[in-house]
Amino acid sequence: MVSPILLIAVPLGLAFITPLLGLARKGAPRYVPAVAMLFNLLVSVSLLPDALRAPIVVRTAGWAPPFSIHLVAGPLGLLLSSLIALIGLLVAVYGMDYIREGATTRYHVLSILILVGATGVVLTGDVFNLFVFFEILCISSYALVAYWGDSASVEAGAKYLIQGAIGSSFVLIGIGLLYGAFGALSMADIAANVSSVSSFRLFVSLAFLITGFGVEAAVFPLNAWLPDAHSSAPSSISAILSGIAIKAGIYAVARVVYTIYGAQSILPFVALLSVATLLIGEMCAFSQNDIKRLLAYSSIGQMGLIVFGLAMASATGVSAALFVVISHALAKALLFLASGYMILRTGSREVSSLNGMGTRMPLTSLCFTVGAFSLVGLPPFVGFASKFMIVRAALETADTFFVVLLAIALIGTVIEGAYFLRIVQGLYFKPAPQQAREETRKEPPLSALVPVGVLAALIVAVGLYPGLVERALGAAANDLLDRDSYVQNVMGD
Amino acid sequence: MRRLISLSLLLIVALGISLCFSGAYFGAEGANRAGKLAQDRVNFGQRYNSRGLEENGAGNIVASVVVNYRGFDTLGEVTVLFIAAVGLAVVLSTRREKPARVRAEPASLVVFTGCRFLFPLILLLGSYIFIHGHLTPGGGFQGGAVVASGFLLVYLGCRGKGLRSAGFTVTESLSGLAFVVLALVGLAVGGSLLLNFLPKGSALTLFSGGVIPIIYVAIGLKVGSELGSIIANLSGEAP
Amino acid sequence: MSLLSPSIHYVGCFSLVLIGLYVVLVKPNLIKVIIGINLMDTGVNLFLVTVGYIQGGTAPIFSEAARQPEGMVDPVPQALVLTAIVIGVSVLALALALTIRVYGHYGTLDLRKIKGLRW
Repeated sequence: MVSPILLIAVPLGLAFITPLLGLARKGAPRYVPAVAMLFNLLVSVSLLPDALRAPIVVRTAGWAPPFSIHLVAGPLGLLLSSLIALIGLLVAVYGMDYIREGATTRYHVLSILILVGATGVVLTGDVFNLFVFFEILCISSYALVAYWGDSASVEAGAKYLIQGAIGSSFVLIGIGLLYGAFGALSMADIAANVSSVSSFRLFVSLAFLITGFGVEAAVFPLNAWLPDAHSSAPSSISAILSGIAIKAGIYAVARVVYTIYGAQSILPFVALLSVATLLIGEMCAFSQNDIKRLLAYSSIGQMGLIVFGLAMASATGVSAALFVVISHALAKALLFLASGYMILRTGSREVSSLNGMGTRMPLTSLCFTVGAFSLVGLPPFVGFASKFMIVRAALETADTFFVVLLAIALIGTVIEGAYFLRIVQGLYFKPAPQQAREETRKEPPLSALVPVGVLAALIVAVGLYPGLVERALGAAANDLLDRDSYVQNVMGD
Repeated sequence: MRRLISLSLLLIVALGISLCFSGAYFGAEGANRAGKLAQDRVNFGQRYNSRGLEENGAGNIVASVVVNYRGFDTLGEVTVLFIAAVGLAVVLSTRREKPARVRAEPASLVVFTGCRFLFPLILLLGSYIFIHGHLTPGGGFQGGAVVASGFLLVYLGCRGKGLRSAGFTVTESLSGLAFVVLALVGLAVGGSLLLNFLPKGSALTLFSGGVIPIIYVAIGLKVGSELGSIIANLSGEAP
Repeated sequence: MSLLSPSIHYVGCFSLVLIGLYVVLVKPNLIKVIIGINLMDTGVNLFLVTVGYIQGGTAPIFSEAARQPEGMVDPVPQALVLTAIVIGVSVLALALALTIRVYGHYGTLDLRKIKGLRW
């Protein structure tokens, strides 16, 4: 059996030698991310059946878990790492032709490392290691946001960096407090001893950790950086940031809240925040004229939905939230990738410039429509199945609080439907602007069409047969909620 | 006046936070952990201090923790520095407005010769620090920083002697690869990444500690070349 | 003073963190904001070292074989701080590079005038 640690070590080694390859052959680096992510996808998927039976605990340096860093490749970790590898592979294929200007070799290096960071975050079982991989993810995204080097992207990068740096300082304080109180850094070790420390101290460290990770997770008061960063980055990177990076942030928050602290009492507050996030995101998206900014705000709205599902703390709720993670990652990656070439061809990011694209770039527009309908939650796409599961979970709790919040969340979905249908209407039923450029009639190259098509096919396939992922979702939700068996698996007794 | 008030307010808040966390149950001194100090099973620091020497053969326990027990963090840390070097080059490379080439006054003969004389000595000191990282305070990161300060001196003192960035790229790639490969050899030999698979040697001599000094040399070279390439990029010498 | 003496290091760390936070939030100059971030980092690093400190403890290094492990400070926070310092340096380098570019585009470092995007 291959060790899950290869999911991190092999792409890391490839990233280190990519600059050398770039010196030797100019065109070689652009294939490296695809190779690394193909490897990750194969390994993650092949390990998933084993992990569904029992989590794989990987020790480093040969010492038993609490005394060295260990990875916990449970159902949740491997499910997310498969998702990361899948999206990463498609984006890497897309990036081969999309990224032509600037420091292309370095772009490919950073695009591997951002995915390595996300994979490390979902697999690690150590708090400080979580922080380190989180920084790998964040710092490479600061640099990639500023990749085009125009005034907007540099400014967005600086803004993202300042907020992210404050967030990571907060995380570090939280970790320091944990180490001071428990003398341990392994999540399982801390979780086993959590009741031995006064609840006030726990609350303070939890507050620092949630605030710190919440910056990356874009939960309501901490998401000022997101629209700028996601809209100024190259479209391929926007797809990774929206599809994966913020999910890694929310994973970190969920791991801390559920596994380490088992803090169920703060969840109503989190649920309120999540609905606020959702409404604000959707309302801001509704008023946008810039297509990438609109998609970025819609990501904030969907994050609200995910957090809402997580806050229910029931098995159905958490699996529904994870289902939304998957459906949103697929759909939002598709939308950013498809709109990337539309923007490139039209030369404008105005929503109105997409008018009439339905006849000019029919395949891309068709896939874009699939993604948009899935996000809105129309059957038979995966978005419908995931949103339906959220509704079911909220009704299952039979708690008036959650049912009222659900009603508000559904209003958000209506707003979402309004602006996405407006775009789709523009694509097909409005005439192209008079001065439309001739090159807008050209479909993107095959390296872009294939990832977009694969994503659209996946959205339809999983939407029609949700059973494909449901078993893994249930196991993953259990992995997150069942603290005792997590501790037992890691500590071994 | 406003500043004074706000700063004193901050001090009071700091006082409040820290009062919550001082006291008998916090930090390595806290009675809670002091009670467990004797138990190697529970207390990390104590266990590493009492067993680190026999388990890894390195006199510097911090080095064993950094390279062995928490070596995976260090792999990530090296990656973060690599990202900073690459990302800095990305951010600066798209610059359209080239920095105004100020014709720098050439340094006087004394400064120029002095820098060229000191440069190899600084490199030697840096290498000494990272080669002896498992015995004395210091290690790969510290030694690498000293090496990079040598490059900084060349930039400051010997204007016109450009720093070659291709050399940095090759060194940083190869040393990074060496770190990953050493880690993977541990996985292949003993089934766990970063395993200390070499003989531990006799304690407190140069040839001790198994793979720790080798990894520290790789880290030292990598950090030195990464910081060097950051300096080269910021000084505008690199393309 | 006896109330303060066990926690005086913590007061120092959290003062540094809060001064850094204050600088980041209040100062309009981008370079000063970066200095503020650095101050926060320093405070956090100091805090981590303090957590592992034992009154009168020695460095966890066996310089001669006769040394006993008793009385050595906790080595783990020192390793963590090493990592945190390197991460802080990386963020700092990237922040300065972005500052150079921002200055190139806008000709100013005053955050009130850098408004290409809505802050």
